[in-house]
Amino acid sequence: MRSNANGAEQRPLLTSDVAAPADALTRLVARGDQEFEAFFERVESVELLPKGAPNRVRLRKEQGLAVRKIENGRSRLAAADTISGPAFAACCDRVAGTTRSIGTTPPRIRTGRWPALRLAQIEQAESRLTRAVNRRRVGFPMEITARRHRRQVQVIRSRMAAPPQFEEYFSLHVKTPWGVWGGLLPSLAAEDLDPVALCLVDRLRSRGLPPHRPGPGVIVLGPNAAAVLLHEVVAHALEADTLALSGSPDQVVGLKLGGPELDVVDDPRSAPLACKRSSDDEGTATISRWLLRRGRVRQPLADLAWAERCPSMIPGAARRASRHRLPGPRTTHLELLPGAIPERELFAEAAGGLYIGEFDRGNLDPFDGRCVLRAPCGRRIGATGPRDHTGPIEIRSRAVDLLAAVAAVGDRPLAGGAGWCAKDGALLPVWARCPSVRLEGLQVAD
Amino acid sequence: MKSARLPGTRSLKLALGAVRERTGAAGAELYVKVGRTRRIEIDPWTTPPPADPDDLPAQVSILDERGWALRAGGANRALFLADSGPLPEPNGWKRLSRHSLRPGTLRLPAPSPETSPGTTPSASAGAGEREPDDEEAAGLALLQGVLRRLGERMPEARLIRGRLDCGASAAVLASTTGVTGRTALRLATVELDFAASRDGRLGHCRLYRAASNLHLLSADSIASEIAERLTLVTAPAPPFLPAGEVAVSPALGCYLLALLAPLLRGRNGWRRLRKLGADRPLGPPQLQIVDDGALDAGWMSAALDDEGVPTRAVALVHDGEPGEPLLSWEDDGWSGFAAAGCRRRSGWRALPELCHSHLYIAGGSEPAESIRTGIVHGCYLLDRVPDGQCHATFEPSTNGSAGRLGEGHFKVDAIGLVIRRGAVLGEAPRVRLTGSVRQLLQGIRAIGDDLRFLPAPGAVGAPTLLLTGLQVEAIG
Repeated sequence: MRSNANGAEQRPLLTSDVAAPADALTRLVARGDQEFEAFFERVESVELLPKGAPNRVRLRKEQGLAVRKIENGRSRLAAADTISGPAFAACCDRVAGTTRSIGTTPPRIRTGRWPALRLAQIEQAESRLTRAVNRRRVGFPMEITARRHRRQVQVIRSRMAAPPQFEEYFSLHVKTPWGVWGGLLPSLAAEDLDPVALCLVDRLRSRGLPPHRPGPGVIVLGPNAAAVLLHEVVAHALEADTLALSGSPDQVVGLKLGGPELDVVDDPRSAPLACKRSSDDEGTATISRWLLRRGRVRQPLADLAWAERCPSMIPGAARRASRHRLPGPRTTHLELLPGAIPERELFAEAAGGLYIGEFDRGNLDPFDGRCVLRAPCGRRIGATGPRDHTGPIEIRSRAVDLLAAVAAVGDRPLAGGAGWCAKDGALLPVWARCPSVRLEGLQVAD
Repeated sequence: MKSARLPGTRSLKLALGAVRERTGAAGAELYVKVGRTRRIEIDPWTTPPPADPDDLPAQVSILDERGWALRAGGANRALFLADSGPLPEPNGWKRLSRHSLRPGTLRLPAPSPETSPGTTPSASAGAGEREPDDEEAAGLALLQGVLRRLGERMPEARLIRGRLDCGASAAVLASTTGVTGRTALRLATVELDFAASRDGRLGHCRLYRAASNLHLLSADSIASEIAERLTLVTAPAPPFLPAGEVAVSPALGCYLLALLAPLLRGRNGWRRLRKLGADRPLGPPQLQIVDDGALDAGWMSAALDDEGVPTRAVALVHDGEPGEPLLSWEDDGWSGFAAAGCRRRSGWRALPELCHSHLYIAGGSEPAESIRTGIVHGCYLLDRVPDGQCHATFEPSTNGSAGRLGEGHFKVDAIGLVIRRGAVLGEAPRVRLTGSVRQLLQGIRAIGDDLRFLPAPGAVGAPTLLLTGLQVEAIG
C-alpha cells in the first residue's frame, strides 16, 4: 500500500480476485468482433464551505460499476450505483440482452475500505490562502470553499485487467467583492496556494477597470494562460471526435499548425503526483503522446472506438466523467516543451505589449475553428516587465492564427492552468505544465 | 433486473433514530432516490439515416441510479452526507459519531398542516420501478424519424450530436420534525445539434425539447423546427433591420424569461422586482408570471418539493404588478407573504436549493398568428443562436440593498425574420436583441395564446410576445 503526496493511502478498489469478473466477461463474448469491459469506480468529494454556511462540511461518496459491450463501433452500456456480484451480473445481462448471461452464480466482487477522511488539510486552506494574500501586503474579504476529490478506478476487460488507478486533487472557489476565482490544485500546500494568491491580488488591482481593447501587438502569456490556450486550440482541436465533425480524424496527421517552437505532448503519466495515470478509463496503457512535433500534428487523442475506426490512431486517451457516461478521447496532462529563450527576454522584446497571467474561460467552436479566450485582467508590459494593470481582455481568433502567432517559447515550464474541462457537459479535471509564450501580430478584440 | 425499490418511511424513521443516537444531532433528514434512464446517443457520422430504426448506429446506455442523502445537526453543528447504493440498515451507521458533526447549522421544515403523510399525493409513485422495455425502440424510432423527415425537407442538414434521455425516478424523504413525502417523475428529453451549408454559408442549430412521456415528442414537428432554424442560420444577412416592433416566439420568450429568474425568487429578487417598477406598473395589465410546482401535466409536477413542503401556484407578477414572492419555508411570513414548496435537489447528491419548477408567462387571449401577421415593420425572432450571447447583467449591490436594478440589461443573439405588414421580407440569420430589463417587461404590447414550455433549465414557459422599445442589430 503506497501513499501519495497528500498522505492518502492508495488502497485498491477491488479486494476480490479480478480474474472472476474477467472470466465472466470472457463468457459473454459470442463473436470475435465483440469486446466487453467492466468499469468500477469509487468517488469521494469533501467540501468545506465558508464560515456561516449551512451544512458547512459536505461529504459525498459513491461507488458503482458499468459494463460495456463494444461491437462494430457501437457501445451498449449498463451502469449501477453499487459494486457487487449481483449488480455486475445484472449489468452483464442488460448489455448481452439475455438473462443469466454469465451463468447462475455471480462472481464474488468485494471492495476495500474507503481511504481515511483526513479533513485537516482542507480546514487549513482558508488560513493558508489568507496568509499568502497578506504576504503581498493586501487584505480583502474572501469566501473560500475548498474541496478534495478522490477517485479510484479499476477497468477489467475480457482477458485482461488494468492496474487500479487512484487520483486525488483539490479545487478552490474564492469569492471576493469583485469576482470569483476557481481552479484545481494538486495539493493545498503553501507552494500551490501562492500562485492563487497572486491571481487574487492581480484581480484586486484591476477591479473596476474597463475592458481593455488594444490593437494588434505583442502579447506574453504566463504559464497558466498558455496552458488554457493549448488546451483549447491543440488538445480539443486534436480530439478524434472533434476532428470527425469536419472530416476524417486521421487526415490531420502531418498538418502544420504552428512554428517549429511548438512541441506539445499529452502525458497522463507525468501529471501531478497524486493524479498520475498509468492506464486510461478503458484500461489501455497511457503513453506520452506527441500532439504537435515541431508545429506539425503527430498523433491525435483517441480512445478504443476511434482507434478501431482509424487504424493509424493509438488508443490510451479515453476518459469518462462517471460510470454513467461513455468514454471519449480527452487530454489529461498537457505539456508544452520549453524553448531556449529566457523568460526575461520574452518581456524585453515585448515592451508596449500586454501580459496575460491567466484565462478564466476558453472555448473552441469545432465547426469553424474560432476560439474565444477571456482573461479577467492583464498588465501592460513596460521596459522592465509587466506593470500597470488592465481590465478584462477577450481574445477572439481562429485556432490556427493563434498557434501561428506563437513567436517564442520561454525556457522555464511551470505546472499551472489546471481546471475543469466541460466538453459535452462531462466535467473532467485537466492538468498542464507550460512555460510562458510570446504571441506576435494577433488581433485582440473586445 | 428490476430497478431498485424505495424504502418505506418506517425504514427511514428507524435510520433517523440510529443517526440521532450516534451523533446526538437535534434534527435529521433522510432523502432517498432511485431512478432509471435509458440514453440513446447517435453517431455524428450517421447520414443518410437507415430505413430501419434498429439499424441506426447508436450508443445505448441503461443507467440505474440509486443514492441517499443525510442532513443532521442543530443550531451549531451539522453534517451533510450523501452516498450511493441502498440506505444502510439501522445498525449500519456505526461510522457516525458525535465528532461527525462539524461547525454549521441545520434547520428543517415542520410538517405542513395542509399535508399529512397519509394524504401526500404520489401521482406516479413507483414510476421508477417500471421496466421501460419499449422505450429503446420508441426512442430509436423517434430519432430515425427526425433524421428521415429532416432529410426529406433539407438534404444538406448534417447531424452533429443527437442524444435522447428517457427515464423515471422516485424519491422518499423523512425527517425528525415529522415531515414525510414521496415524489415521482417521468421525463424524456431530446437534444439535437445539426449543421448545414448553403451557398458557402455554414450554420448550425441546437434543439432541446422535453416531455413527460417519450410518445409526446413528435419527430415531424422536431424535424420541422430544425429545418426552419437551419434555413434561417444559413441565409444571407439582410441589408437593413427595421427598428420597430419585435415579436418573439415561445422558444425565445422562454430564454428571455429564464434570464429574469433571479428577480423572481427569494427576498432579494422580490426587493429588486419592486424596485424595477419605479412607481410604474411592471408590465401591461394582461402580464401574469407564475411559478407552479404542482402545474397540471407539468414535467416536474409534484405535490411536495424536495424538503416535503407542499407546492402551489405563486403569482409572481399579477396583472402587470408585483404579485407575491417565491419564498421557501424559512422565509414564511416575511412581509406578510406565505411560503411555497420551492426547494429542489438536482439529484440525491445535492442539497435542496430555492429554484423555480414551472416558471411561465401565462398565455393571453390574442392568437399568436395575429401577433406575427400584425407586425407593421419589425422582426419575428424565432430562437437564440446556440453559441451566441444570452445573458442578463444585474448590477451587484454594494451595500446589501437591492442594487440599481433599473440599469440591469440583457443581451440575446437570435435568429428570425424581417417582417413588413405581415409579409416576410427576408431572413435575419444573426441579430442581437438588447435592452434594459425594465423595458423588456414594460415594452410587452401583446401576449399570444400559444404558451409552450421548454427545458431552459427547469421548465420555463412563454407564449408569443410582441415587444417594443428594444434594440435589434445585425451581427457577424
